[in-house]
Amino acid sequence: MTALAASPAVTASEAPSRRVSPQRRRRRLVSALLLVVVAASTLALMLPILIIVFTAFKPVAEVNAYPPTLVPGAWTLDNFTRIFTELPFARLIANSFVFAGGVTAFALVFDSLAAYALARLDFRGNKILLIAIIASLMIPFQATLIPIYQLVSDLGWVNSYAGLIAPRAADAFGIFFLRQFFLSLPRDLDNAARIDGAGELRIFGSIVLPNAVPALLTLGIFTFVNNWNDLLWPLVFTTDAEMGTVTSGLTLLTGPGGIIPQGVMMAGSLIALLPLAILFLMIQRRFVESVGTSGLK
Amino acid sequence: MMKRALPALATAGAVALLLAGCSGSSAPASDGPAEITFWHGYTEADGKVLDQIVADFNASQQKYKITTETKTWAVIDDTLLPALSSKEGPQIVAMPAERMPVYADRGAFADLSDFYASSDSNTADLVPQAVDMVKVGGTPYGVPTGFVPLAMFYNKSLFSAAGITEAPTTWDAWVADAKKLTVDENGDGTPEQYGVAIPDHATVANGLWPSLLLSGGGQIVDGDKAVIDSPENAKTIQYWTDAITKDKISPTGLDGIAADQLFSSGKAAMHVGGPWMASIAKDNNIDYGIAAIPAGPAEQAASAIGVAMGVTESADDAQRAGAEAFFSYFFQKDVATKWSLASGWPPLRTDIPLSDVSSNPVVAALSEIAPTGRALLPGVVNSTDVISDIDELTQKAVAGGNVDELLATAQTKIQQAIE
Amino acid sequence: MTTHAPSAPPRRRGAYRPPAPIGGRGPLRHSPRRRLTVVAFLTPAMVILTVFVAWPMISALRLSFTDASGFGREKFVGFENYVRVFTDEDILRAMGNTALYALLFTPIAIALALGFALLLNNPLLPLRGVFRTALFTPFIVSLAVAAFAWSYLLDPQIGLLNYWLRGLGIQLGNVLQDPTLAMPAVVLVAVWKSFGFYMVIFLAGLQDIPTSLYEAARVDGASAGQRFRSITFPMLGNTMGFVVIVALIAALQAFDQIYVMTGGGPYGSTQTIVMEIYQSGFRKLELGFASALSYVLLLITLVLSLTQFLFFSRREKDAA
Repeated sequence: MTALAASPAVTASEAPSRRVSPQRRRRRLVSALLLVVVAASTLALMLPILIIVFTAFKPVAEVNAYPPTLVPGAWTLDNFTRIFTELPFARLIANSFVFAGGVTAFALVFDSLAAYALARLDFRGNKILLIAIIASLMIPFQATLIPIYQLVSDLGWVNSYAGLIAPRAADAFGIFFLRQFFLSLPRDLDNAARIDGAGELRIFGSIVLPNAVPALLTLGIFTFVNNWNDLLWPLVFTTDAEMGTVTSGLTLLTGPGGIIPQGVMMAGSLIALLPLAILFLMIQRRFVESVGTSGLK
Repeated sequence: MMKRALPALATAGAVALLLAGCSGSSAPASDGPAEITFWHGYTEADGKVLDQIVADFNASQQKYKITTETKTWAVIDDTLLPALSSKEGPQIVAMPAERMPVYADRGAFADLSDFYASSDSNTADLVPQAVDMVKVGGTPYGVPTGFVPLAMFYNKSLFSAAGITEAPTTWDAWVADAKKLTVDENGDGTPEQYGVAIPDHATVANGLWPSLLLSGGGQIVDGDKAVIDSPENAKTIQYWTDAITKDKISPTGLDGIAADQLFSSGKAAMHVGGPWMASIAKDNNIDYGIAAIPAGPAEQAASAIGVAMGVTESADDAQRAGAEAFFSYFFQKDVATKWSLASGWPPLRTDIPLSDVSSNPVVAALSEIAPTGRALLPGVVNSTDVISDIDELTQKAVAGGNVDELLATAQTKIQQAIE
Repeated sequence: MTTHAPSAPPRRRGAYRPPAPIGGRGPLRHSPRRRLTVVAFLTPAMVILTVFVAWPMISALRLSFTDASGFGREKFVGFENYVRVFTDEDILRAMGNTALYALLFTPIAIALALGFALLLNNPLLPLRGVFRTALFTPFIVSLAVAAFAWSYLLDPQIGLLNYWLRGLGIQLGNVLQDPTLAMPAVVLVAVWKSFGFYMVIFLAGLQDIPTSLYEAARVDGASAGQRFRSITFPMLGNTMGFVVIVALIAALQAFDQIYVMTGGGPYGSTQTIVMEIYQSGFRKLELGFASALSYVLLLITLVLSLTQFLFFSRREKDAA
């Protein structure tokens, strides 16, 4: 199944003109087969996403209808208007950007600095620090939520952006992830620079970081998405409805008796998805480019 | 050595910040009205009326000023604990009544015995079962804001199509009518229309099965003993399990929300629900009627949905006095009537005549059946576990388990939970 | 304690060592300039982690020895909470469920991620960018929203999946209320949501493998399977080790979709440890017990991860 990269240059130059045809025919067959398999499985995996998209446009009656439909019979924008009237949704989206964006910006900087130290600098306690950092990943957030909240409240930061972002401004996962990545980069370049007398910060900034762009982008997306989608922390932390994020705002949609208006919920979720999807589409191209130029060692 | 100093420095820095933060915490304003925050979960039109009542209270005196914050009940439950733990909490908070005992037991709510005893508190005429809801070990820790028994909602059009003119008033009539209303036109074993929607777990306000058990003459908890394993309860559960599985009057595996949806989509003719079903049914163009839950062999009991509010431990003396003043205001006859009409729930005072609430037909109908209301698990601190034990019992019974064994297991677990 | 620096310059016996601050062994490691550098790099992250992670963890540890609710009175109770963790039926059941969940989730998510990464790494596949984006989309949906969408799909009355399968003659029934199907269902949702991210990590790792290696193997006549076993798999050792630990930690902390879809039911068959922690802390106001349970979870995770880490480090050394 794992037909890996065949180098066309090798075979084409070696093969006499008679053998090019079957070779190309086989490649086209494999291409087609791959396409079918991947397309079918992707479509199947996309089903829940399609549900979210289509349900957002369905009127209430059709959401609960039997027999169920995938594509709406009657398209409506009601759910979207409701989202914006029942919640200060535009403000919530802005808050989500500030929260997720702020955390991502700080985390990328702080995490890469710390990861560099762990991966490249020898010091006593390097391994212990690493284990301590990884260990902190293993305690669920529900357990430290109260102490963190008490801490932030004592700092006087309740309901503020500072309080929302600060606890996440560096995270163990990011440090771990980047440390692994930095370890995989060859040391020749930075050792040469060290011998030349360059300072660590210079090496970090001009040699290691540029080679780490794919990892930084991956971590950036991961951090942004996870914080954008985070529910418990913004929910607990912001008692002021205007300071909430999109995800915490959506929980306020629960109607009486606990009934959740599916259509409206999906509409809100769809809007919440869009910035993430656009972000990924933008980053994705750079991701490919940067891997393409730096990858093959 | 610098490296080892680093964590110490960081911690010292953090401690310094903490101390700075602590010393900055506000001393209460010495002049001006005492500021009180009130969290509640009334998110619909009723919330607006409550906010108006609060505004009227604020306008009526100078000593206290209450600010409301509206969140859903679930969100209040998730956010109250962190808020209280860091002294950021509200001074008044409303919550579903069965959540109150666990908070009261942990010291989150102030003891209101003196308040109830005082003559100008307006609490003398409150519905007694409603007050039962807020007592733990005999001590009241809050005041009721809503108390309404579960009611039976029925679809009048489906009734007339099946030739039924009146809502059933006994269990046997109930099952008989449900059988007539269960329609499987294409004979594929799955009815298109069910006579009734009976959830077997996570029921509406966790009250359906307690209602049935009580009506059958059995109880769940009596004082500090679990008494769920009784012959009456066994008969009740067997009766209803047979009706659901053999007569197929309801789908199995439903939870309360799915049952709500089944009724509101017109696929079930009868449903035991809360007052909000009225507006939901109307939104879905269902011609609905409200009746009391039919009587069982022993009595006609309906578990009540209750909401209560209390004064939290983060309130200082001035704020607490303000909260109590607000409660007294809230229970004045005119305010109580206004609140009843706006919330769609029966009045909390027993001395408000039906004629005063006749302008809201839903309230009038619910007030008529109010005497059937019984508090759910009053005073039980660990209601979370007891409710999930009941759920397990009913769900397994409907799925075909042995009722006697299930009752014995439930008894043991509930006894553990209330210890 | 010395750390192994893979590319430290070899020590020349008795030779003069230049005083340059090279990353490697030697007494110059502790020079003030060196230490300042280390501190400078570590400080920002360490301040945040110490204040907002380490300190709350210590707080939680202290709470685990009390009967605190988070507010009001609290009393020291010694190891009572920890004893209860190991004797309470419900907790033991939650541990069993969590183990089952982890055993199902980790291999399936990784296999799916690796499989798709390999497929998407193949230049013979057209529209790779499109597929990569599409397969990544489940990841950007929040777990709660994913759970809603899946619950809706699996609804026994109005769910599309049930409807379509019924048309094929398969009666799915009420999946989320079926004690045997509920756990696979919640695992499925998590796998669906997470595999995209692991896939991207594997893709990055795959693209780090030089194609020259594959060329050489091809010329030697190695089959696709052999190439995978002797080149791809070993070279992915570092990446694999990372993904396994991350997936395992995520599995052991399963909460969001279970909370939304089953609430721990039916009959507690999907109740996981973090569900118990949440309910103890937030529903029953037993913060002390919740903290104790969290620490037990931490210890279990630590032990399991260390084992994985050691296992994969050894493989990585063998491969290099």
